[in-house]
Parts: sequence; C-alpha cells; structure tokens
Amino acid sequence: MGLWCCETATLRLCPLPLEDMDSYPLYQYGNPQLRIFRTNFFMTLVRPGTEQPEDTVQFRIPMEMTKPDVKNYLQDIYSVPVAAVRTRIQYCTNKKRNHKNQKVKRPDYKVAYVQLAEGQTFKFPNIFPEKDQTTESGSLEEIQNKFLEEDKQKQKADPRRGGVTEWFGL
Amino acid sequence: MAARSRLPLPLAAAAARGRLPLPLAAAAARGGLPLPLAARANNVRRLSCGRAALCSATATATYPPLLPSRTAKSKAAKRRREEEFYQRVHDSPAPADKLQLLTKLQRLKYVVSPQTTAIGADRWYQHFTKTAFVPGLPASLPAPLPAAQLAELRSLVSEAVLQEQFYLKRRPPFLYREREQTALPLIGNLVSLLVGSLTDRNPLLGLATLDREPQVSFYWSRGERTVPRGHRKRKVDPIRFQIEDKPWCQIRVPRQLTEFMPLENSIPEDVPVIHMEPSRLPLFQRQYDNNIFIGSKVADPACYGHTQFHFASEKLRREKLVKDKLADQIEVRLRAAGMASLFAWTGAQAAYQGFWSEADVVCPFVSQAVITDGIYFSFFCYQLNTLALTVRADQHNLRKNICWGTESMRLYESIEGEDIKGFNDEVLDLLVRFLLNRPESVETKIS
Repeated sequence: MGLWCCETATLRLCPLPLEDMDSYPLYQYGNPQLRIFRTNFFMTLVRPGTEQPEDTVQFRIPMEMTKPDVKNYLQDIYSVPVAAVRTRIQYCTNKKRNHKNQKVKRPDYKVAYVQLAEGQTFKFPNIFPEKDQTTESGSLEEIQNKFLEEDKQKQKADPRRGGVTEWFGL
Repeated sequence: MAARSRLPLPLAAAAARGRLPLPLAAAAARGGLPLPLAARANNVRRLSCGRAALCSATATATYPPLLPSRTAKSKAAKRRREEEFYQRVHDSPAPADKLQLLTKLQRLKYVVSPQTTAIGADRWYQHFTKTAFVPGLPASLPAPLPAAQLAELRSLVSEAVLQEQFYLKRRPPFLYREREQTALPLIGNLVSLLVGSLTDRNPLLGLATLDREPQVSFYWSRGERTVPRGHRKRKVDPIRFQIEDKPWCQIRVPRQLTEFMPLENSIPEDVPVIHMEPSRLPLFQRQYDNNIFIGSKVADPACYGHTQFHFASEKLRREKLVKDKLADQIEVRLRAAGMASLFAWTGAQAAYQGFWSEADVVCPFVSQAVITDGIYFSFFCYQLNTLALTVRADQHNLRKNICWGTESMRLYESIEGEDIKGFNDEVLDLLVRFLLNRPESVETKIS
C-alpha cells in the first residue's frame, strides 16, 4: 500500500487558499460535473482507538467532507480502492475552563472509517518502536551511561549496612 | 451399660438434629439426663441400640441441601438463578411456553438483516450462526426429471417469463425499483405453476401451504461481551441477535424433510471465527419484542419448512456493484442472504418443536431457498444441526450447521420479442429438484 502516514500527518495539496469551503458553486440541472483539481481538504490517518477489522482504515477529516468526497479523494489522488466509507462526528467537550474561568471548547472533528476493496488490508504501523538498550562500545552514549551508573552507585548507601540509615552509628 | 457422659442414641440423634428444646438440650449435652425422662420429654421412641439403629441413624441425610442464595449479589447466586431459569424452561410442557419464557426479556440486540450492504458479510454471518459453507448442492437431492417432462415445464416457465417481460403492458416503474415490477410477479407465477405441475410426483406438495410475504423471525444468543464502561462495567453479557426476514413466498409442509447429511458426519469446511464485536461489521443494536416465527403460529400442523423464494432487492443489484468495482461482493451478499434467511427459518422451526440452546436438536432441520432477481437464480440448502450457540452450551459442542449454495446462474440470455434466447435448463432442473424434495415416508405416485 502506497499510503505514507504518521500520527498527525497532513497533506496540503495547494498552498494558496481557495475560496471558502462553504460556497461551492450551486448546481443546477444541466450544469457540467463539478471538478476540483486542487482541493482544500486534507485527511489525517490515525491509529484506531478500538480494534477495527483488517480492511478498515480510520481517518480524521474536515467537517465539510462527505462520504463520496472521501471515496473520490482516496481513489483519484492516491489510487486506493475504496469499498465503503462510514463517517461520524465526534463531539468534544465544552466543559473545560481556562485560567480566567472561561469555557474553552475543544473543537469537534469528523471520523471516517474506510473499508478497502479488492481484499486489501492495512495495519497501522508502530511509529515509536522501542529502542534497543545495547549501545556500541566506545561510543559517547556508552561513556555517558557508564558515568551515570557510577554516579548512582556513589549516591547509594553502603550495602553492608543492610538498609540502616547513617543517622545511627558513629 | 452406657457411661453417664455418653448420651443414649435417640437423644443423641435428636440433639444432633436440633430438635430438643433448649434446657433439655443443655442438660443432654452435659450428659445428665436419665433415660426415661429424656424419652418422655422428647416423645422419642426407644430404639434398640443395635447395629441396625446405628445404620439407619447415619444413612439418611440430616441436613437440607446447602444451596447458594437466590437474591444475593454474588456469582453463585447468579448461577443459581440461571440454573433455576433453565430448569423452568426445561420443565415447561409446551413449546409455546418455552418460547414465551426465552423471549420474554427484552434487551439490546443486534438486528441482522439477511440482505445487507456490508462488505464481507458472509464470513460474519457464518460466525454468528456457526455455519460452514459448502459450495455446490448436496448429493442427496432428488434425481432430475426426464427430458420430456422437463420440456413441458420449460414451455410453462417460458410463458411465465414472457408474460412479465413482453405480453403485459406496464406503467413506468418506480425509481430504483424497476426490477421488482417484473421479478416479483414472475416468482409468484413460477412457484404456483411448478407446484401445481409437480404435485402428482410429490404428494407432499399437495399437503403444503404456500405463504405470500410471510414474516420469518428468529432470536438467539452467540458469544459474550464484557461491558466496557458505565454502571455495569466489567459485567459479562451475552450478545443477542434477531433476524427479521420477509421472503416473497415460502412453502411449509407438515412432514419434516430428510437430512442431507447424517448428524454425526463431519465436513472439512470450517466455521470462520471473528474475534471482533459485531458492531464493526457494521451492525446496529435495538431493543424491541423478541420474535420467533416461521410464518404461522405454533399450532399450525404445517410446521416444517420446505422452500423459500426470495427477491434479491436493490441492495444486491448487480449492475450497481459492478459499477462500484465490487463485483466480488455479489456472491458474498447472496451467500449471506441465503445463510441468514435459512438459519432463521430452520432455527424457528426447531424452536417450535421445543428445542433451544440448552436442549439441542435431536435430528437435523432442513430447508431450501432460492434467491432471484428475475434473471439470476441462486440455490441454497441448509441443515440445522445445532442450536447450542451460547457460550455455555457451545463449550463441548462439535456440531456445526451446514449451508450448501450455488453461484448465481442466468435463467435466459435475452428476450427478443416473443422468443427467449439461451434458456438455461440447469436452472429449471434445479428448481424442479428442489420442489420434488420429500421425506422417504411420503409415497410417490408414479404417473
């Protein structure tokens, strides 16, 4: 699958702002098919919070985008075969307050669940893999780690005292 | 002579049962009660203190059975309530009472519709109903008719098709419901024609009932789910399902059809297991009356199913799926529809006979279905081997339900004026074989 992604990747196709998305040219019967060549929409591929089937990909999309928009976007720009799209709007809280006790709204967002066609599957990758703890010998990191460990050792109390504090004794 | 400290036997037994009044009990415990006084005080018969008395005193249980509470907020109490409920269902005499007990409680349930637009629905439905799908039809269908009789039926069927497509003048059809206008009358006419022609070969059809647009529903549980949040967090609930189906017509018979495969046989095909919640399909929950219905009420003598005829609605419209590049989903949706409808029908038939998840079916319930949109026909046979789909009943259950099905086949290539081009005899042959299916006990009159 050729879809590059990261947790908060955004794809901006056009740096110039187009007209505002609320005012599409109104369609009247007989008009030609409306075509948009450089759309102002951008979709964010996210890791699903709950388990999704293998052929389902989860996106955060602008509120103004619709299911056919999502399908056309993925098929025409990215050549991703889309079988079905389902959307929902996530309402976010207006309950939080700032330091002036004013209510602060977290913006709502729309989520799209895209089912891929032709038996394709997608698993969200692990973007932050665990780093191996083994460091190369002679490198700066190893020297630093050694120094830190020796420092920690010096701070610790004498093990022969068996946990008893220095307050007692001579 | 008994020592003073040892109590005489009846008193000891009475003291153990706790039946002695307190002062006497205390005195008896101290061991100071003389024998005649004790006997008079407690009206105890003086038993002989021999081995017989010893055996009889210890053989009978002296305590009532220790049961967990029925009303406590504990797992043992919940288990006891469940056991008592199951016992009540087992003990109810009539299947109608069992149905009433099982479907009494309303809770949120997934409403499964046989004809669905979901992607890959057949695997999910197989998991919900524990069905293995076998491509092709079972070998034990009746033998095909000789060519001469088939030719007669062929002309009848051609007439029926031309009636809808050519002879009748119709109004312009409703938008997105064009196919219905010709297909639904065609199915009705075909069924009536074929049933009428084949009654002499299959006397069971003479005893059958033909329903038009019957309601078929079934309610069952499969799997469990832990409630993730809310005041019932961490509680374990069964996942409930309901199918509401409306075939265009169906044939119900008073005798059960013979099984396609013996109950004990195992087949290589597996039941797919899906470890995700049904809501991911997507499937939605509702709460309303739990219905189990085969098309007629429990008292109807024609309580076994024979064949259903479904119309493949706009959701299964082939041209639309091909245009959306989902051509592989055509067969998937037809299979899902066939499996779900037939599982609901056979499950409801079994429920009408008093079987449920804790009382599994004794012999398989068998039904057939034809799904068509007027041109393409798909044939399905279903054998219900088990109704034990709940987690508790499914633990040691090796049986699985089996669904046989064909791909969709065209009845004819095209119609030019009054001629039907490319009539497919195979479809007619299968239709006839489906309708000729009967149990061995029914006598055949050979014409």
